[in-house]
Amino acid sequence: MTRSEITQRILTIFSERFEIDHPGLDDDLREVHEFDSIDAIELLREIEIMLGSELTHEEKRQSMDISTINDIVDYVQSLAAVRSAR
Amino acid sequence: MIPSAGSDGAATRPSPRWLFGVVDFGVTIVLWVYFTLGFVVFFGPFYLLAMIMGPDRHLRFQKLNHLFYRGFITICRLLMPRQQWRIDPRLAGVRSSVIVCNHISYMDPILLIAQYARHTTIAKNRLFGFPILGWLLRNSGYLPSASQGNLAGLTSRCLAAMPAFLASGGNLIVFPEGTRSRDGTVGAFNAGAFKIARLCRAPLAVVRIRNTNRLFMPGKFLFNTCSANTHALELLAQLTPDYGGTNFSLTDLMAQVRAILEESHESRFDLHAGRGSLGDS
Repeated sequence: MTRSEITQRILTIFSERFEIDHPGLDDDLREVHEFDSIDAIELLREIEIMLGSELTHEEKRQSMDISTINDIVDYVQSLAAVRSAR
Repeated sequence: MIPSAGSDGAATRPSPRWLFGVVDFGVTIVLWVYFTLGFVVFFGPFYLLAMIMGPDRHLRFQKLNHLFYRGFITICRLLMPRQQWRIDPRLAGVRSSVIVCNHISYMDPILLIAQYARHTTIAKNRLFGFPILGWLLRNSGYLPSASQGNLAGLTSRCLAAMPAFLASGGNLIVFPEGTRSRDGTVGAFNAGAFKIARLCRAPLAVVRIRNTNRLFMPGKFLFNTCSANTHALELLAQLTPDYGGTNFSLTDLMAQVRAILEESHESRFDLHAGRGSLGDS
């Protein structure tokens, strides 16, 4: 998946799942869109579906630093890279 | 003069006022003694035992909280003969649900937890910092209201355990307004309860609580024990949203629950008709 494709998938998830339309890629999701820890768990579930594999405990822990859409895209790219290298 | 309950289950305060004031004071002291010494003396040893008994600690703490609050309600019933308690019998059958309820008094969580041995709820973050209460909340598996600071890890663990807890028959009790309503109207909702329901694919039980604010009024120290009053817990609706459907909207679900609660607020509670479903408890 290219970065653009990942970004599009994430934006679709935000629109359909969290009813957050057209968020800025560098918006602080918690501050601007009230994205909370419950949403984060759902997002990780969606990312697992996107990647076709479960996230490890360590990978989930890494997601706690995420605050923007760009952070999420970086995170998904790194996860995808690890999986394609296996 | 013998006071009688009005059609909304409440009545004016009887006279002589000074005598009933003395009774209110005495009953309040008894209830506070139960809450403090009663907790330490009668329940403390069982909580300590529950602490060291291995797995399922949360469930044991929840059961003890349930029994402790049932004891509280029992004392209320014994010492306050003018208070009636009407609990919708259908509430006993609610399982694996997120129970959303309006909030008018500190009595509300007590009354609801007294109904369910397997329950969890959401508590304000600052309560987790209190010496004994914080310990109790953590060990009961209760969820902090916000995932912040040193409670972030606890929130994550609670949320991770929530789907299995609900699937196994437990209920999550939530007051989505987050604070007590002073006039009975339904305030703005926090989305958290509804997000958890979606996360866990759990049904919702919409519950109306009535008149607990007449017994323990916001801002008052004394329980208002002598005025005739009927407390009611009423199951208004059970919703099973299609969370995975393309048309599902969290905003719409919240609006639906709000409409149900608002409609029940506008319709006066007819004690005598009793809606045909409320029994004494």
